[in-house]
Amino acid sequence: MNVLEINNLSVSYGAVQALIGVSLYVQRGEIVALIGANGAGKSTLLRTISRLIKPKSGEIRYMGEDVLAMRADTVVRKGVAHVPEGRRVLARLSVEDNLLLGAYTRSNRPKIRENLERQYRRFPRLRERRTQLAGTLSGGEQQMLAIARALMSEPQLLLLDEPSLGLAPIIVRDIFQIIRELNADGVTMLLVEQNAQLALQNAQRGYVLEAGSVILDGKGSDLVDDARVRKAYLG
Amino acid sequence: MDFNVLIQNVFNGLAVGGVYAIFALGYTLVFSILGIINFAHGAVFTLGAYFTYAFLGARFGFNGLLANQQLPFGVPFPLATLFGGLAAGVISVLIERVAFRPLRNRGADPLLTLVSSLGVAVAIVNVIQYLVGAEAYSYPSLTISLGIPPSVMLGGERPIVIRTVQIIIFSVSMVVLVLLTYFINYTKVGKALQAVAEDQITSRLLGINTDRLIVVTFFVSGFVGGIAGTLVGLSVSITGPYFGIAFGLKGLAVIVLGGLGSVPGAVLGGLVIGLGEALVPAQYVGYKDAIAFAVLFIVLLVRPRGILGRTLVQKV
Ligand SMILES: Nc1ncnc2c1ncn2[C@@H]1O[C@H](COP(=O)(O)OP(=O)(O)OP(=O)(O)O)[C@@H](O)[C@H]1O
Ligand SMILES: [Mg+2]
Repeated sequence: MNVLEINNLSVSYGAVQALIGVSLYVQRGEIVALIGANGAGKSTLLRTISRLIKPKSGEIRYMGEDVLAMRADTVVRKGVAHVPEGRRVLARLSVEDNLLLGAYTRSNRPKIRENLERQYRRFPRLRERRTQLAGTLSGGEQQMLAIARALMSEPQLLLLDEPSLGLAPIIVRDIFQIIRELNADGVTMLLVEQNAQLALQNAQRGYVLEAGSVILDGKGSDLVDDARVRKAYLG
Repeated sequence: MDFNVLIQNVFNGLAVGGVYAIFALGYTLVFSILGIINFAHGAVFTLGAYFTYAFLGARFGFNGLLANQQLPFGVPFPLATLFGGLAAGVISVLIERVAFRPLRNRGADPLLTLVSSLGVAVAIVNVIQYLVGAEAYSYPSLTISLGIPPSVMLGGERPIVIRTVQIIIFSVSMVVLVLLTYFINYTKVGKALQAVAEDQITSRLLGINTDRLIVVTFFVSGFVGGIAGTLVGLSVSITGPYFGIAFGLKGLAVIVLGGLGSVPGAVLGGLVIGLGEALVPAQYVGYKDAIAFAVLFIVLLVRPRGILGRTLVQKV
């Protein structure tokens, strides 16, 4: 079953066409990679799914429901969590407050506590720093916090925007280890990356976005070997 | 200044400072969420005072559309204050709808909102004048209505006399301050407000309905503004439709002094200016306002972000 289905989506910022007739789908349990150069429209796509941007035309369905008829908070309530580009932790709030705000749409307190405990087990660093202001965390720790915060809403679908951005290779390895573990736990993901190799190696399927359009799609392993992808993104 | 007078003045300053603090918090809440000063806040303060007057069941004067009118019922002063605050909160929410939201939805420059809120303030002043005239109104004496003694004396031989009204004003301000601090720091909605204040986009991604929180903010801001208006009206009188304008300016001095957008800063700024004014020697009392702004000016020379203003958080 398709968790996410996008048909013919077009988005523009004023005169700038950011997405032109994009169609894609994500099935339950998959990691789907979305790769493309700077400015290809990757973040725009995720922001449109999260209802931060109104598209010009097209359709987005999540679990068969019309996303474009929902408010941003409804999308989260229904089970879509978004880890934004650049992490965007709430710098002036503590690590734990950031995590608890991740569960803003949830109201069952014992379950929220349980989930918090689960995140602390997954990210022991965050437990050590639970009272620290999030703005004082290192880049890698902030990325972990952003992911853990998204998981606090108990999502069915996780949208990840460049989780490797600006991180040392060793930290990137940790983050992708966590991404694989989450996927093994059953979390479906749409993963945006500029690090095409890493993304495609970890994804079941992938799409290549160029200047707002999907120019290629296929199995992750096939795309890694594709001559055009190699030339454009893998060097 | 002899010691008794000094103590009285300090107490006076605390009472006035407490009101400054809660009034200024109304500005601070809106500023921290939207990054703009709500110039209609002073007008909401005025309305709060008039609403309380009406809820007491008191009769309006000889001028205006509501001349000689009164509500068919009256409630005791504490309840009237609460209702006055709630009504001011509702008005504040309406102001957000009319003067803030339409501009925000169109992505207008925040500076434009400044002007539209100023316009609302002027309109409210005029409407008040149209409805109840320009005369001053005083609340019925608490001594009569609630049987409270006009003043209390502390100490034996040369007792310090403190007006009961000041004790009431100070206590009510402190209760409001404590409740507000609790609300902001320890409730789920309060945390969400902090999140929206820091980053609206991220807040939306976390499932926070930012428009609804902005409404909550305006309501709370109007509520404390209205209570402040009632307290000042209780201390002196409601001096007319322009009642809140001068006070509104003082409130601006308070938040700038404390540090724009800082909640503890607003409280500290309120108390500093309240005490500063109260300690002005009697023969210079006419220069009270100038002294408040002089203090502000000097502090800003030393600390351009105000006493507790934070340096900008480095974006990663
Ligand atoms: N707020 C905006 N206003 C105007 N144009 C925008 C805005 N945001 C993005 N764009 C433009 O839309 C296009 C797509 O941007 P987007 O951020 O989606 O790219 P991206 O694929 O995420 O790039 P990157 O890898 O650099 O993050 C770019 O040309 C960008 O300049
Ligand atoms: Mg991007």
